[in-house]
Amino acid sequence: MSNVVSLKKERFIRGAAVTGIILICALIILKIENMLVSFVLAFAISNLLSPFANYLERAGLPRSLCVSSMFFFIAVLLGAGTFIMLPGIAGQLASLKHELPRYIEGTTKILAMLENNLNSFVGSFYQVDISKTVEQALFSFSKQIFSNLPRIFSSSLTVMILAPFFAFFLLLNGRHIVKQLLEMVPNNLFELALNLQHQISVQIGGFIRARLLEAGIVGLVVWIGLIIISFPYALLLAVFAALTNLLPYLGPVIGAVPAVLIALVNGMGVFEIACLVSVYAAAQLVDNIFVIPLVVARIVNLHAVTALIVIIIGAQAGGILGMIISIPVASIIKLTSIAVYQQFIDFRI
Amino acid sequence: MINSLWENILKPREKDTSSILKENILFQDLSSKELKFVTNIVHLRKYRESEVIFHHGEAGVGMYIIAEGSVNITIEDSHAESDADHNEIIITKLGEGDFFGEISLIEEDGRRSATATALEKTTLIGFFKPDLFEILERNPRAGIKISLRLCEVLSRRLKETTEKASLLEKQIKQLQKETDK
Repeated sequence: MSNVVSLKKERFIRGAAVTGIILICALIILKIENMLVSFVLAFAISNLLSPFANYLERAGLPRSLCVSSMFFFIAVLLGAGTFIMLPGIAGQLASLKHELPRYIEGTTKILAMLENNLNSFVGSFYQVDISKTVEQALFSFSKQIFSNLPRIFSSSLTVMILAPFFAFFLLLNGRHIVKQLLEMVPNNLFELALNLQHQISVQIGGFIRARLLEAGIVGLVVWIGLIIISFPYALLLAVFAALTNLLPYLGPVIGAVPAVLIALVNGMGVFEIACLVSVYAAAQLVDNIFVIPLVVARIVNLHAVTALIVIIIGAQAGGILGMIISIPVASIIKLTSIAVYQQFIDFRI
Repeated sequence: MINSLWENILKPREKDTSSILKENILFQDLSSKELKFVTNIVHLRKYRESEVIFHHGEAGVGMYIIAEGSVNITIEDSHAESDADHNEIIITKLGEGDFFGEISLIEEDGRRSATATALEKTTLIGFFKPDLFEILERNPRAGIKISLRLCEVLSRRLKETTEKASLLEKQIKQLQKETDK
């Protein structure tokens, strides 16, 4: 009997220890500044690079050499890329800073025109008054974004150092860390925990790779398209389109808004605007016809209403970055919940 | 002497697990380098006396090799009329070096066909489906060697079961003939 009691006690202690470690790690990630973003990025990077590390390892190279050489190669590639692209990006940013008041003024004028048209239709029922509010919001946003640029840059620098550092160790020792944690799981839950961890890591890995591939392809198509039609800020707009493409449903539309506004403010003709819309439409066509069917099985789509609620929560919690990572995080939670539920049924717990 | 002492202090677990794995049919074709790779992937689990390793009907994801101790494989007596009559039929008792649960390595959504219980303080080496996938992904040569041996073990089990089934069929027919007479 005492043996049975002590076995129960041992199981409880082991279970509590594992849960405690996971909770402490979660708390550190959530509470320490820049840690959440760094960790999410590191997780994404390690999942993206994991197939390449495995490929090199299959060739007979030791894991440490595979990971180190891969990071060295990426560092060289990024260094060269930055060296080539930085003058262009800096030029585009400086030009944008200079031109921003003009774009805001132009946007406000377009909104005022829209407001007048709307009021002439529904003026007797309701007076639409958004142009002044939007103008004020845009001006304060544009002032803040450039005055906060040093702080954003220092915070980004921390993330840019921490994320690859974490990613390196996740790729090198990630499996070992998970194994160590699994060793502490009580015997009666061990197979469940091992299988659950495997299912979640396979699904999340596929999901992250699919999403990043999708965003990368959309960004690339937009960039090439904008260069072909000689549109200003091609690289910045392509990066924006790639990032917003991570947001389902509204993302592709939001991604195209700045380009359309730039075209309208600059007074571009119908043909040029049609070309611009075609570029964004082509990116979405490539995404929907080629990319999504190939990787769709790995993407967990959230319901439109759920996605909207999740984006609002993300925006409240972490601003623009919160909005971008809210959908992947929500999808991971959804995946995990489904897997946990399925596992608990299978293991009769 | 001193060297072996240091070896035992520094890497006792790995050495033991490697030598146990090397003696097992599934891993006997592996080179020492491949064996070291597999040793870092498998899981060492310790069980108390009478502790259940898995229950009959539970989802199973892999097999166990007995490193130390012994294990009873039992099934519930389906002929028991009430809970009071509830009894377990011992199928086999397994000792060091034996392995069990290997069907779960390849079965999709497999369920355990019997209950396994540690008879004494027992150490098991767990080798599970995610481990096999990892080996196949990172070291396909070792993964294929293990998979081929696994096929051999399973085909041998199938052959034995078929022989037992045909023997039982013969015995049933003989019994029927005797009853008819």
